[in-house]
Amino acid sequence: MSDIYLVGVGGQGIITASRVIGDAAILANKNVLLSETHGMAQRGGSVVCTARIGDVQSPLIPDGQADLIISFELLETLRAMCKANKDTVVVSSTEKIVPLSVSTQKLRYPTLGEVGAQVRKAAGKFVPIEARTLAEDSGVPMSSNIVMIGALAGTGATGLERGHFESAIEMNIPRMIPENLAAFAKGFEAMDKQLH
Amino acid sequence: MGIASDRFKSYFHYPANDFDQMDRILEAKPGAKVLLLGNEAIARAALEAGVTVATTYPGTPASEIGDALARVAKDAGIYFEYSTNEMVATEIAIGAAASGVRAFVSMKHVGVNVAADALMTFAYTGTRGGFVLVTADDPSCHSSQNEQDNRYYALLGGIPMFEPSSPQECYDMTKEAFEISEKLELPVIVRTTTRVSHVRAPVGVGTIVPGPKTKEFLKDPKRFVTVPAVARSRHIVLLERLKVAEDLAGKSSFNKIVRIKGGGRTGIIASSAGFNYAADAANSLGLSADILKLGFSYPVPRATIIAFLRNHDRVVVVEELEPILETAVRAIAQHESLPTKVLGKEDQLFPRYYEFDQAIVEAGLERTLGLKTNPSLEGLVDLQGVPKRPPVLCAGCPHSATYYAVNKATNKKAIFASDIGCYTLGVSPPYSAADLLVCMGSSVGTAGGLAKVNTLPVIAFIGDSTFFHAGIPGLINAVHNGHKFLLMILDNRTTAMTGHQPHPGSEKGPSCCDITAVSIEEIVKACGVKWLKVVDPYDLKTTTDAVKEAIAQPTVSVIIARRECALIAKKNEEGAILKKHFIDQEVCKKCRTCVDRFQCPAISSIDKVQTIDDALCAGCGVCSQICPYKAIKEAK
Repeated sequence: MSDIYLVGVGGQGIITASRVIGDAAILANKNVLLSETHGMAQRGGSVVCTARIGDVQSPLIPDGQADLIISFELLETLRAMCKANKDTVVVSSTEKIVPLSVSTQKLRYPTLGEVGAQVRKAAGKFVPIEARTLAEDSGVPMSSNIVMIGALAGTGATGLERGHFESAIEMNIPRMIPENLAAFAKGFEAMDKQLH
Repeated sequence: MGIASDRFKSYFHYPANDFDQMDRILEAKPGAKVLLLGNEAIARAALEAGVTVATTYPGTPASEIGDALARVAKDAGIYFEYSTNEMVATEIAIGAAASGVRAFVSMKHVGVNVAADALMTFAYTGTRGGFVLVTADDPSCHSSQNEQDNRYYALLGGIPMFEPSSPQECYDMTKEAFEISEKLELPVIVRTTTRVSHVRAPVGVGTIVPGPKTKEFLKDPKRFVTVPAVARSRHIVLLERLKVAEDLAGKSSFNKIVRIKGGGRTGIIASSAGFNYAADAANSLGLSADILKLGFSYPVPRATIIAFLRNHDRVVVVEELEPILETAVRAIAQHESLPTKVLGKEDQLFPRYYEFDQAIVEAGLERTLGLKTNPSLEGLVDLQGVPKRPPVLCAGCPHSATYYAVNKATNKKAIFASDIGCYTLGVSPPYSAADLLVCMGSSVGTAGGLAKVNTLPVIAFIGDSTFFHAGIPGLINAVHNGHKFLLMILDNRTTAMTGHQPHPGSEKGPSCCDITAVSIEEIVKACGVKWLKVVDPYDLKTTTDAVKEAIAQPTVSVIIARRECALIAKKNEEGAILKKHFIDQEVCKKCRTCVDRFQCPAISSIDKVQTIDDALCAGCGVCSQICPYKAIKEAK
């Protein structure tokens, strides 16, 4: 049983990322349930996807029960903490997408250090990933979602093998497969380095 | 490449490197388990059931059903259309099904309100070919203006109903719904919710069996022409068929008992997503209980309920939104004089609003059964002060430009009747350009009423797709009855909010069919409107001047603000000619006009410095027209 909570901003490719997890789970012969955000919230709002691998009926992850939180945007990491417990591994992209409320209501966007400190209070581990830089390095700036999938796979906590994820990426992103696999590898290695 | 490529190939006919040619819904091989969205599973089932005609009007959370069918219609050899609205979509399907082929229509919950007039009487005539209507409900209003419970439509019309809980059941029940529809000669509803339609899971699929292309209508006016004498007799037929339907529900494998920890004297009756939460909650609480899962839930199988009540001391009913099953179960218990305690919303165990989750159902079960659940978690991260991120109009959105121009022209001294679409997001500051909104097309009608009793100018906003859907009768009414307001048709050439589906003004439609674009201008003129202007909202001055002139007219006036949705423009040549912009910090006076009076996700103000994110900028150049100091310039 592995409960993965994915958060970010509409347009960051989170649904595609969750589909990769879903196909990887099927390739590993495991049951999987994903839930997705569609519709109005996709217009630049906060979005949530869940992936539950194992024997459950409901796709929603109860509060405090996520094993892994994968955040595609730094600020959104904080909003996901309701799902964390002291064993939760929180993997957060350092990418910042400044919400309009920061400008219009003159609020402050928190620093990486502040987010890390908050997350460590609620969760077991905080792992920041330079997803946008790693994506640019792999030749596809749009592939930071795949970098994050690499980081997820690199935790080794999903019960799925690296090859399952790689095949699932080929299935879901037919264009520029080598570049996307490179983005995946960069995320995987970045996570591996931080954890071990 | 990758360890599983061989297995992957077994799913589909196409090799992996041709993947962009492939569509899972069509290509998944019989017997394969494929990852499908609940909505996609419904689409696949419709193909396997041999539908000849499928229709929709897009709406979250139903849109992906139609979108999947639109993509594969040509290759699957079916007829598919995006209809003008849900009523027309339903009528198209009725015409086909009455002729004897299988027909399929899908829509969001509020779409059924539009379709209801056709649907209620179609239950009287009944159908020849299988007729299935999918209603996708939206508890918690994730993307809707209300959270009405459309199971009432099954009760209201006498229409048998299935309620799947998972993508696999979406597939299984949609197929079965066609069989039941033909057996009973009645339309059948498949009712999902957001957490069923938008769940993705492995689905085992079968074989696609194409239906007949044509079928000649056999004339039978004593059945199909509902003059009062016919309607009276057909109502009796409907009620008799519902008795047969109840027998079928009693025998249906979709109504089954799921034992948790060996079962026990405590029973739970659940349907739809409610079943998922009930099962997970019962397992998590370590409950020994039986869950009666109702998948073929209308007509309620009385005999099944009676037996379940007899075998249990207390029965908790777990269903989202309205206590429909609960009321039925209570009535059966009372009628049969059964001592079983029935518990549910009447006992305040569960709310009558919003979607459930496992915790809500656990708390309800705990209170009923005197169990001890885990104490609720204290939020360890204080979210106060964490900037919120509601949905916003995109960078380059033409609606932003339109709203800016309207605010400038009216100095915000106007009343705004809004409508359903992305542009409803104009309700937020700085535009505050929505004062009244109830349903699709309501901007035009409500504007007439507002204008009758208000002294401020009234401006109605409606999208292009919504105008075709339900705006035209309101406009005819305004001309005919002499209402005085400005109707702004925000024509971004697509149905943007639901995923860029075509509409009657589009030139390119679903894969199967050629379509004809209908001109909005010609319709407006034909409605009798005397003052009409077409503007490009990116041209702020012209748009502002047009609004000023329009609200001074003595009759209803119409402005079509036409500019392609920025998300589409980004992908084509028109988008490529636009120029990215930047703020010249040497010229910028930090006046904040670009963030306080305009709303663009690409422009931010951090530490009193306003900048444009080059990656997000759509190149519309509207901000450069707004800046009082000409500090916003084209990037070289």
